[in-house]
Amino acid sequence: MSNRSSGKKNVMEEYLSSLLTEEVAHSEPLEQVSKLLDSASVLHITEAEQQKLSAQPSIIDPDSIKVEQLKEAVELVDHTQSQSLTPPEQSVDSDVEEDNDTQHEVGRVTKSPESDIAQDTGIYTEPFQTLIFEVAGLSLALPLTELGGIHQLTEVTPIFGKPSWFKGVMLHRDEKMNVVDTAMWVMPDKCNEKLADSAKNQYLIMLDDSGWGLACERIIDTITLQPDDVKWRKFDGKRTWLSGMVKKKMCALVNVKQLIRLLQQGMNSNDN
Amino acid sequence: MSDDRTLSNAPSDRNDEVLQWVTYKLGEETYGINVMQVQEVLRHTEIAPVPGAPEYVLGIINLRGNVVTVIDTRSRFGLEPTDLTDNTRIVIIESDEQVVGILVDSVAEVVYLRSSEIDSAPNVGTEESAKFIQGVSNRDGELLILVDLNKLLSDEEWEELTNI
Repeated sequence: MSNRSSGKKNVMEEYLSSLLTEEVAHSEPLEQVSKLLDSASVLHITEAEQQKLSAQPSIIDPDSIKVEQLKEAVELVDHTQSQSLTPPEQSVDSDVEEDNDTQHEVGRVTKSPESDIAQDTGIYTEPFQTLIFEVAGLSLALPLTELGGIHQLTEVTPIFGKPSWFKGVMLHRDEKMNVVDTAMWVMPDKCNEKLADSAKNQYLIMLDDSGWGLACERIIDTITLQPDDVKWRKFDGKRTWLSGMVKKKMCALVNVKQLIRLLQQGMNSNDN
Repeated sequence: MSDDRTLSNAPSDRNDEVLQWVTYKLGEETYGINVMQVQEVLRHTEIAPVPGAPEYVLGIINLRGNVVTVIDTRSRFGLEPTDLTDNTRIVIIESDEQVVGILVDSVAEVVYLRSSEIDSAPNVGTEESAKFIQGVSNRDGELLILVDLNKLLSDEEWEELTNI
């Protein structure tokens, strides 16, 4: 149990450290994240385990700056109702995927009270990390605290009678994931079927614990944004799925909570 | 043809009803219908068109002296039409004491599913065809879409079929 905890801790520490490190060459973050994604699984650190880890100085190097940043960045959240993407009893080693589908999973970034407020309003008042991804020439940003996971897009089973932006259901380890044709959802007027079909979607970006995922062509980067880096939108009831525009990347920042709400109601971006 | 999985008789499982589903293919997707509603499966036979019939009605067949209306499942589900093959079958089903045939690309197997293994389909979609889906199930890494035959036709449409 302790070996598993230390293993999980090391993986999470390494992953979060890579996210917290800003001054890295452009191509490096993606490679680092890719390597971590290959070996990481969704991790849940219970309060008991966190206390246990904290009480074991041999595991944590208190002199490490990165660890200090990690301690500041990670706060326990009660995940009693959260859904894990992998069964808790699986060890870290067994979660390493070596088979051909090379499914990537990411450790969950736990949330602070400030980020809870940000999720409701879509406006962050503290620095926050985002994942930038691209589909059909459109770049979107998604706060990491609301990222449920990243999966390799495999076989998607279409279901008739659903909106055109609903690609179908993808099965992953007994989980059913609803796949959204992101281009079709965001740009229903501009994106015809030909364009949608030509998009070579490779990944599925999961929205929190909702079971909804956005299909994307490529993952561009993970960056830390300051509140001033975003041109925030007013929450005026229109385009509620859009939190604002990331100025330096010129991409839309998604309000995940509102997006999930719209998807569950069967609405596309034009419907709101 | 039947499921090889051992069905336990543990107390917690007794309330988890096991149902049999006849699975069939339309294109690449696999669908299931309740076996209790399936009377028989026929090879594709000549279907006589009926002028003035709804577009989802392919026509009628003679089944041992009885006239049975055959419904185009693809049309009903809003799917693109396809050519007939040697695997094409007509599944004779009974719903509300009415017997109709549904044309499918092929019939696969009979599977056993517990109620707990059936999930609701994503609750999106306002198209009429969305109402046909009773649920979905993960079957050996493949998604099985379960069809509610009772909703295949409305009461008015069932009534209309009797007049064909």
